[in-house]
Parts: sequence; C-alpha cells; structure tokens
Amino acid sequence: MKISNDDLKRAFQKTAIPEPSEESKKLALQRAADQFATKSPFAEKRCKRIPAFFRHMGKSLARLLTIKGEPIMTRTSFATISVIIIVAGVFLTVGTNMHFFSKREVVITDEKTEIPLTTAEPPPIEETKNRVAAAPDAPKEQPVQGHAVRSVEGELSAPVGRGVAGRGDYDKYSQVSKSPDTTAGKVESGAMMQERVAPSGPVRDISSYYYKDEGRDRFTEIKANQVNLVAEQPVSTFSIDVDTASYGFVRRQLNSGVLPQKNAVRIEEMINYFDYNYALPEDRSKPFAPTVAVYATPWNSNTRILHVGIKGYDIPPAAKPRSNLVFLVDVSGSMNSPDKLPLLKNSLALLVDTLSPEDTVAIVVYAGAAGTVLEPTKINKKGKILAALDRLQAGGSTAGGAGINLAYSLAEMNFDKRAVNRVILATDGDFNVGITNQAELKSYIERKRATGIFLSVLGFGQGNYNDALMQTLAQNGNGTAAYIDTLNEARKVLVDEANATLFTIARDVKIQVEFNPAQVHDYRLIGYETRMLNREDFNNDQVDAGDVGSGATVTALYEITPAAGKEKLIDPLRYNVQTAPEESKAPASMEYGFVKIRYKLPDSDTSTLITQQVGPAQEYNSIGAVPADLRFAASVAAFGQLLRQDPYTRDFTYEDVLSLAGPARSTDPFGLRAEFLNLVRLAKSARGM
Amino acid sequence: MDNKQDKELIDLALSGERQAFAALTDRYYMTVYRYAFRWVSVREDAEDIAQEVCIKLANSLHTFNWRSAFSTWLYRITANCAKDFLRKHSRWDKNRSPDFPDERLVSQNPGPEARSFHEQIVAAIHVLPEKLKEATLLVFAEELSHKEAARVLGCAEATVSWRIFQAKKTLKKVLS
Repeated sequence: MKISNDDLKRAFQKTAIPEPSEESKKLALQRAADQFATKSPFAEKRCKRIPAFFRHMGKSLARLLTIKGEPIMTRTSFATISVIIIVAGVFLTVGTNMHFFSKREVVITDEKTEIPLTTAEPPPIEETKNRVAAAPDAPKEQPVQGHAVRSVEGELSAPVGRGVAGRGDYDKYSQVSKSPDTTAGKVESGAMMQERVAPSGPVRDISSYYYKDEGRDRFTEIKANQVNLVAEQPVSTFSIDVDTASYGFVRRQLNSGVLPQKNAVRIEEMINYFDYNYALPEDRSKPFAPTVAVYATPWNSNTRILHVGIKGYDIPPAAKPRSNLVFLVDVSGSMNSPDKLPLLKNSLALLVDTLSPEDTVAIVVYAGAAGTVLEPTKINKKGKILAALDRLQAGGSTAGGAGINLAYSLAEMNFDKRAVNRVILATDGDFNVGITNQAELKSYIERKRATGIFLSVLGFGQGNYNDALMQTLAQNGNGTAAYIDTLNEARKVLVDEANATLFTIARDVKIQVEFNPAQVHDYRLIGYETRMLNREDFNNDQVDAGDVGSGATVTALYEITPAAGKEKLIDPLRYNVQTAPEESKAPASMEYGFVKIRYKLPDSDTSTLITQQVGPAQEYNSIGAVPADLRFAASVAAFGQLLRQDPYTRDFTYEDVLSLAGPARSTDPFGLRAEFLNLVRLAKSARGM
Repeated sequence: MDNKQDKELIDLALSGERQAFAALTDRYYMTVYRYAFRWVSVREDAEDIAQEVCIKLANSLHTFNWRSAFSTWLYRITANCAKDFLRKHSRWDKNRSPDFPDERLVSQNPGPEARSFHEQIVAAIHVLPEKLKEATLLVFAEELSHKEAARVLGCAEATVSWRIFQAKKTLKKVLS
C-alpha cells in the first residue's frame, strides 16, 4: 500500500472537525481576558521585594504544591527570574495588619530566591527546551529589570477546569512560575520593603493554592415542620432517612469556626449519624423491631417527646452477598484540593480493605469526558485496584452525566442478581457537562434502580458542594449520601458502617404515626422536612422511600403536647364547633398514638407492616429514667434546632445541650459523642459566616 | 490573517489595551481549537487545550518577538499544550472514545474495510511518535510548507522532510 502526500492531505480535509461549543469558546476568551487584565506582566507594574518572613511562606507553599511526591506543577516556565505571587490573604494571622496587606500582591523577584520548588521528576533538558516554546523567547526578552510578574495560570492542573458558569474562579489556582536554575539559591537580604501596589486580585489564604470555591454550597431549602393539631391532622407520614451527610457538613463548618447555613442542617441526619442501642430484631425476615418511648421534652416543660427508633437486622458476615461495586470518581479541576481527591483516594482504599476477595470493583472517572480506569477487578487483585486509585489526578471540567452512564454500563456488564450491585459516586457534586439537568439525572437513576443497580453518594469538599443534587441522586438511587470531611469520617462510613452502606435489608421504609386526640393535642415532627409523604402514600407500594442498611439505626422524634397540658403550642378555637369526638373508642384512649412502619424486603415488591402502640407503658416519668441513648438523641435534636434557629426551643441554650448530652455519652467507642460535645462548644463561639 | 493587523493588535495589547487582546484571542480561537482537535480528536479535550492556550497567551504575549509570524508562534504553544495534555491523560485515558473510531474500536467492527482509507489514516496518526505526528499535522492538516513547519518546529527544513518521510513509512506499516 502506498500513501501519497495527497492521500494524507485529503484524509485530513475529509475529517470533519466538530465545532467547539459556543459556551466553551466564550469561557476560554473570558478567562484569557481576565488573566490578561489581572495577571499579565504588562497590565501593571508590580512590586519588587519581599520581607524576610515571606521567604518562609514561599517554602511552605512549595511544600504545599507537592502532594505525595507528585508534582502538581506539571510544567514550569523558564523565566530567569523566580516569581511567586502571594496575595496577602496568606497573612490572615497578621491580624491588625490585615488591611495593610490585603489586596496586594507580593512578588518575589530575587534571582536567588530560596524556593525549593521540588518537582518529583525534573524534566530533562531536551524536553524543557521544547517546552520553552510556550514562551519561546522568554529568556531573551525578559524585561531587564526583572520585575515582571510572570504567572503561569493553570500550570497546576492542566487543563484548567473548562467549567461552565458557576464553576470556581480559575484565578483561584495559584500562580507560580519558576526558573530551573534558581532553585537552590538564597534570598538576598536587604531592606525587603514591601511596596504598595494597586489592588488587584482577590484576597487569598494559603489554602487557595488549590482550587477553591466559596459560598456556592447548594442546599435544598428547609422549612421546619409546623405544629399540627391532632383534631385536624391526626396522621403524620414520612420516609425514613439514613443519610448522615448533613452532620459531616455541619461538623466541618463548625470546626472552621463558622455556623453552617440553616439549610445545611437536616436534624434527622444529625440524629441518625449516631448509633443507638435499640432492640435488635432476631432474623432477616422481620428486619427490624421498633423502639418507642415518651418522655419530657428537655426544652419545653409543657410538651413531651415521642421517640421512634428502629435498628436494622445486622447480616452476619457469612451471609453477606457478593458486592459488585463501581467507583465513579470525579477528577475534574474542582476536585484538586487536599480535602477532595487525595482524601477520596484514601477513603476508597479503606473501603477496598473491607471487601472480601470475591467482590469486584471497577473504577470510572470523569472530567471533561468519562473513562474507565479499572475494569471490574476482583478484590484478590487488591494491588491492582489500589494502584489504579493512586493514579487518579484532577483536571478539566465535569461531565458527570457521561460518567454515570459509563459507570452503570460497567455495573450492568458485571451484573449478578444475587450480589449487591452498586455504583458509588464520589464527587463535590458539580455536574456541568452532559446531563446536567437534575430531573433528567434523577429519572435516569430511577430507571437504573429498577434494574437492580443502586447508587450511593460520597460528598467531598466545601465551597461548591452541591448537596441538593447529591441528596436527589442518593434518594432516588436507593443509596445513602454521606459527607466525607476527614479520613476519620471515611473510616466511620466505609469501614465501621460498610455493611449499612452496602447491604440493604429493607427498602422503601415508611413510618406513619396516628395520634390519639384524646391524649395528644398537637404534634410536630422534628426534622425529616425533605422526606414528608402524603397520608395515602403510606399504603402505596409504588411510592419510593428510604432504605435501611444492615445494622443501621433510624430515629424520629415528635414533640407532642398532651391534651391535658395547660399550655399548648396552638390555642384551642374559640368557635369550636366540634364537640367531644367519639369517646366510644375507649379501649385505646390511654394511648398517645399508634406507630405503623411499612417496609419491603430487598427482593420483594410488596410491603409488610409492623405496628406498635404508644401508651403509658412506654412512658418515662422523669428524664433521669430515660435510657442514655434516647437522651442523647434528644440533645442532638435540640442542637440541630438551635443551629437552625427554629422557633420551638424557647430558652434552651448550647449550655443546656451540653448538660443534657454530657451524661448521656454512654460507651462511645469511637469518640463520636465526645466530638459532638465539642461541636456544641464550638457553636457557642462560631461566627455567622 | 494579515500580519499587519496582528502587529497592531499585539502592540496595542502589550500597551495594556484589553480590547485588543480580546480581539486577538477571538481571531485565533478557531485556529487554535482546530489544531488542538487534530492532536486529540476529542471535542471537549480540544476545547480544554484551546482555553489553556488562550490563558497562556495572556501570560506570555510579551515574550513574542516577531522573529516569526504570530500564527507560527501560536502553533508552537498549541502543540506544547496538546502534548502536555496527552501525556497527562495517557495514563488513565486508554478507554476514552475519540469523536471518530480509532483502531481499538475498529477491531470489534467487521474489519478495517468498514472504514474508508482516509479515516484509517487519520486514526493512525495517533500512533505516531510525537515529533513525527507534529510534523505530519503541520504539513498535511494545517498545510504548511516544509519551510513554515520548520519554523514552527524550530528545526531545519531537511529535518521536517525527513520526519514526514519517516511518518509515511510508519503509517504504511501500521495500515498494511
């Protein structure tokens, strides 16, 4: 076969090049223009020297820029002058001087700056020459003064996130350029005075040398459940919720000294974060037994708490089904942050450790496009799985939709009817390419759920955390949504509670409580705002609800006002036409209410009913007699309501939460409850934003 | 694109005129994108690369010295970004599907005959070593003369011719 020049030319002419999307073109031009306006060397003359203590910052920065020996800077630009732009946010600790430094760029321009910007593999000379082509004449044409600011945008994670509107600002990546031959010098001492420069660029702190977003966390709005009059609405229906994501997010915010936004606080998820010692069911066919109790409300002496708790059957290790897991990992530019991709890799490695040899794992990644990193692989080839995890890197935009498609197709490929088939999505929740429409994603996942492949979501990072989408995905995929802020949390979710995360013992679990108007005047459900169901949904097996994993506990609290109480949350009607209701149902009249729980076994499509009446037998007369676990749950509920500033807690304070929860810590093997107490203390002094 | 207009725009941009810079990137975006697409054959990736080139332009426009045409310089930057992109992604991206079928997909198809000769050539370009691929793209896709390509590559004209020869030889081997 012969290939002529004409063949080659024609081949290219005949290959159509798809048009770039308008959106990405616009974005590229916009970013370049922004870069030009703020960072380019000729836009403004910048300052010259650095104070001595900044040198240290330079070093720590250099360290920061290398994660696990893997250079973030894949390329370096070769000006003879080593330059680091540090915007003054770094010096937050300077406190009162803050205003002086802020909005200023500090430029290290000394030729002998001591910045060991170690890249693990320095590029060979031959290659560096090539690369200089990016700025081919740089060495020769460098401004003589050596004061130019050369910032290399996007060098940290090429390609820069091509994200669409709503993505993080690219300029929050760091800008560092360095010269190959200045890595071992010393900073020339001297006056090191800092010159005032025109304000440009946002204030940054050290962590902003990674991708960072602020104030874009998205949550579904929550309006606290209102008080219902039993006479008007005797029945309350909701779906259980075993997620714990909200607690993780709240903890993270409080640990950084900030109160979480109200919508981030889902009280039921905070309560369900903890494991309670409820009665265990005996066998798998009746997967849980309800525990009910009534006791005095800690924050209101006129009301009582109706406590409903269930603990799922814990599958013994021998009876565990095989797992067919697909990790769907977001490696887009926004994941380039120490609390995201690196944490994610470690978390998934923990999970891999808990699986048994016959389980399979596949890894799919998505950024600008989706790709398979690891075909379904048995756990007995653990090395291969871990190596694949380790190779993941962040960069590019986020085609979450395409990733989901690919992940499901892998799960289907390896589908085993008797196994747990689950896609585990790990992301910061920002889908901006492909299927981005929530409703569309939702229906896609619902359809896949019907085929037996479930979806769980692990959330990472903050600033641009899309909680709303994560909740939608997990709820419709029969999975849990957990928020991973630390490795410790990853251990809790993926090791200690791996069974609950992976193995479903009951699906579509709904709770319905009917109150007895003779005993209860009014009631309100604490939390579960996003999980409310209609009364008729309870008996309708088509209506989806939450799932319970092996060994998981679920708790729901009602605040009820006894009919005999003197002060009520709702005043009785003056023109009440209604007279004594049928007192004829006398036998039940001492009961507060009747709890009904409906669930489906994992392989069944029809539901089963469990009932439990709540009467004086379940009532505790003094709060001291209440089991510690129940008291602890009540204190978490109080804390959640305080954080949300719900109007029902009266003069209950964080101090009161501490004194209620403190003695109720019980065994607390992992220190989770102790941590909770700390969060309450932190909340006392946390800032509003 | 005439050189004089480029010169005007670039001079204006270098004096800090933002609109001139915007006009410059707007004018060259498609050139950059198309060349990037030749390198990676995936629309999204080409868009990523094009964006990076534009940003890079903002950073290093001042280093451009008019020893060559602006477009020549731009080809160089684009090629470098594309190569970096491919290096970075080659590690895990074995399975991403390009916008046209490549040889991996072909093997599942009835046979190479299912595709036209030209498609096979374009797919095979991606198996060439970087240097040969670059020369091939410049000469046959961008239709530069050997002399112009030599300028972009920063090598002698004879080197370009030799690389083209090698590239054709390799392609022949791959396709037969």
